[in-house]
Amino acid sequence: MKSEYILTGGKVVDPFRGIDKIMDIGVKDGKIISPSQIPDADKIDVSGKIVAPGFIDMHVHLRQPGNTAAETIATGTMAAAAGGFTAVVAMPNTSPAADTPGTIEYIKRHTARDGVVKVYPCGCMTKGIAGEEMAGIGSLKSAGVVAVSDDGRCIQRHQLMKHIVQYAKSFELPILDHCEEDGLKDKGVMHEGVWSTLLGMQGIPSASEELMVARDIIMARAIDWKIHLQHISCRESVERVRTARKRGIKITAEVTPHHLSLTDERIKKFDTNFKMNPPLRSEDDRRALLEGLADGTITVIATDHAPHTATAKLVEFDYAPFGIIGLETALPVCLTELYHGKILSISDFVAKFTKGPAEILGFSMNGLADGETADITVIDTEAEFTVDADKLRSKARNTPFKGKTFKGKAAATIVDGKIVFNEL
Amino acid sequence: MPAKKEVCNGSEVQAAITRVADAIISEFLSDNPREFAMIGLHRQGVPMAQRIIAELESRTGYRPELALLDISMYRDDIGMRKTLPIIHATTIPFDMNDTAVILVDDVLSSGRTIRAALDAVTDYGRPGLIRLAVLIDRGNREFPIRADYVGMKVDVSDDRKLVVEFNEINGQDGVYEIDWKKYRRGDH
Amino acid sequence: MDNFKWTRKDLLSLYDLEAEEINYILDTAQEFKKVSQRNVKKVPALRGKTVVNFFVEPSTRTRMSFELAEQRLSADIININASSSSLKKGETLIDTARNIEALQADLIVMRHSAPGAQSLIAKNIRCGVLNAGDGAHSHPTQALLDLFTIREKKGSLKGLKVSVIGDILHSRVARSDVWGLIKLGAEVTFAGPATLVPKEFENIGVRVCHNLKDALIDADVVNLLRIQHERQKRGFFPSTNEYAKFFGLNEVSRQYLKPDALIMHPGPINRDVELDSAIADGTQSVILEQVTNGLAVRMAVLFLVAGCVEK
Repeated sequence: MKSEYILTGGKVVDPFRGIDKIMDIGVKDGKIISPSQIPDADKIDVSGKIVAPGFIDMHVHLRQPGNTAAETIATGTMAAAAGGFTAVVAMPNTSPAADTPGTIEYIKRHTARDGVVKVYPCGCMTKGIAGEEMAGIGSLKSAGVVAVSDDGRCIQRHQLMKHIVQYAKSFELPILDHCEEDGLKDKGVMHEGVWSTLLGMQGIPSASEELMVARDIIMARAIDWKIHLQHISCRESVERVRTARKRGIKITAEVTPHHLSLTDERIKKFDTNFKMNPPLRSEDDRRALLEGLADGTITVIATDHAPHTATAKLVEFDYAPFGIIGLETALPVCLTELYHGKILSISDFVAKFTKGPAEILGFSMNGLADGETADITVIDTEAEFTVDADKLRSKARNTPFKGKTFKGKAAATIVDGKIVFNEL
Repeated sequence: MPAKKEVCNGSEVQAAITRVADAIISEFLSDNPREFAMIGLHRQGVPMAQRIIAELESRTGYRPELALLDISMYRDDIGMRKTLPIIHATTIPFDMNDTAVILVDDVLSSGRTIRAALDAVTDYGRPGLIRLAVLIDRGNREFPIRADYVGMKVDVSDDRKLVVEFNEINGQDGVYEIDWKKYRRGDH
Repeated sequence: MDNFKWTRKDLLSLYDLEAEEINYILDTAQEFKKVSQRNVKKVPALRGKTVVNFFVEPSTRTRMSFELAEQRLSADIININASSSSLKKGETLIDTARNIEALQADLIVMRHSAPGAQSLIAKNIRCGVLNAGDGAHSHPTQALLDLFTIREKKGSLKGLKVSVIGDILHSRVARSDVWGLIKLGAEVTFAGPATLVPKEFENIGVRVCHNLKDALIDADVVNLLRIQHERQKRGFFPSTNEYAKFFGLNEVSRQYLKPDALIMHPGPINRDVELDSAIADGTQSVILEQVTNGLAVRMAVLFLVAGCVEK
């Protein structure tokens, strides 16, 4: 691998510095460097492509330790690289859950050995994600977590949640929360609406999410600490976040590519690859999420990449686990829906995957400025991408986008100056 | 395109019906008259039976009762055909037991339809006697079944289908041969 | 109608069927009804075919009706129910179904508590699949027997006002009836307390009301659904007594009925809860005829689905 090279002719889109112009980017020894300082370096032609700071997916399930039949750090990070991500935040609902420094050490050790892109571990808020007792948040921070979350579940006891937000604030760890009120969710398997009514399936009402979104906004305001709302899915959540942000409350929100592009109607054929939590909601909700992205209410797009084995998914809809994979389809889906769909400019588009997550996670980075780490995502906005389930790098195949064709994809992924994915 | 080819015209069809009526009169309504009933097999056996009855009545004054029988539930090729037949109403207005009945169908070929009809009829009772009248005997028999009254014999190769049309259903009388495979595909 | 072709290997939901197909099934059932009125109540239509009744959720009536229908068509029958099946041993549903298929079964009649379970099987095996109820989603033969009964009594469905009253939320009967009724031109009302009657049904043209009088007053057909006591525990209504008082068809509410309105019920009846005994056994009730017609409809459907080998 070349230790120094220049990406030439690409359009550099760097939301950290507000840059959006054609220019060359030099890379030397894993850092960004002015091309004038390495005049003899190899040239890599990226004309016609977008050159952006490395994309961060702050919501990924790598399943290791515990369910390596579905995914491993090796396959998950390979999928991330192929999807254009230079870093992922690994959710802690592994088996065992990432609630002790030992598990964090394990993840770091395996990442050092197998990781293709950077893996930032996220620790648990409660022991075993049981929602009962606070996890050792301080020790988790020392072990290297970038945030805490009970993702997959939501803490129902408000006082415990309050204490966790206060305690995490002492350690300057952001909270990533999966908002869901268990009583209203009950045994729901899909969005409660017209389609759940017609299909006779128990619904998960939007109110289940909205209640906890409201709870978290109250906490963030009262405690004055950062709460990031994971995968919000309905209009009511968007509206509450919009109002809260206008009032200066430290609330941020993410949305997934599937909630931006699919609705509950798709469940009418009972395909379990359309079953995830939060569920695909109505067209009106989807519109609200697009509006929230466009007006800056939602600052992050994250995949909630949730691999499951084919066996686990090939069962009755009621019994199938929630979750779909998303790392390799995120850019194609979002470029088609948001960039070509004229919802976001290319600069705003890039920000949702870079500056948005970096701000929440407290990463001090300055995009593609000289001296920064050379984590770079090169995007081809015009290439056609057809989802061929057999060619996915992820170990899992549970995607709702099987066989679908999109416009735009990652063309190259560069981590610490090393080109880990190259379809230039 | 091998379009359908006429085998018999309307007057030849009528003449064949008359021949069947002649034979029935000679067995049932001549020297030693006996009561009997007729059973038309859906679909083309029904108008044919009605024609025979009309002719019998005008020539002898005797009007046999008519039952309509659909034999779809008795076929031996369920699941082997590309499409299912429409089941038409079966109506049997008389007691089958000890009655002499004449089954009426348009074309006798393999004998499978008549085999099914015999099963169906005997599920409704125990007729005293069963005869078979057909407009056309085209040969190609697969079962040991023969007709008692035959309007005409027609020689056609196995891959051709004989189609009988009656004025009551199709607007005119006639017999045609068409390509069997095309018929199966539903192009007719 | 004479050029109609039945081309389905499965019967999963009336949502999938065209009006023409529904009418074709009802016409076919008309002839099969006569078979049960003969001395010899049996035809050889499915002789040599193997039908597996695969009931992952218990059932008495539907299974009995299907089993008798299969016997009257001369099919060979195997019954598998959840307690005796491998599902208890952790085998997946698809594996169980593939094992049934490997025994050269021709048709699977299946009941399951999970919506869409039959679709999952139908997609993954070759033999025909008949849905005998999947959770609260669909129960197509029940809807067909309801349609058959209404058509037999009223001549046609077109323009009829049909009110379905009770626990619509958990009812596969309501979810099946509604598609058949709409496709054949009836006007459908769903009635009951708002906890049990989702307003979302208005999206497909159903009138939703929460007042029994409004549902009864101009109805040509009233279909009452069984109220299950366990719903009370989950807080959908306070007591069966209160339910009976406000939403049951009883001596008080019957005053709103048209004299020629048909009273239907998919059974089993909770006497004096959703339906007073006197009305259930009265002259307007066609509840037992529904049972008789269920047999004819199931014979027709088995015959049609077995008869289709190619999609």
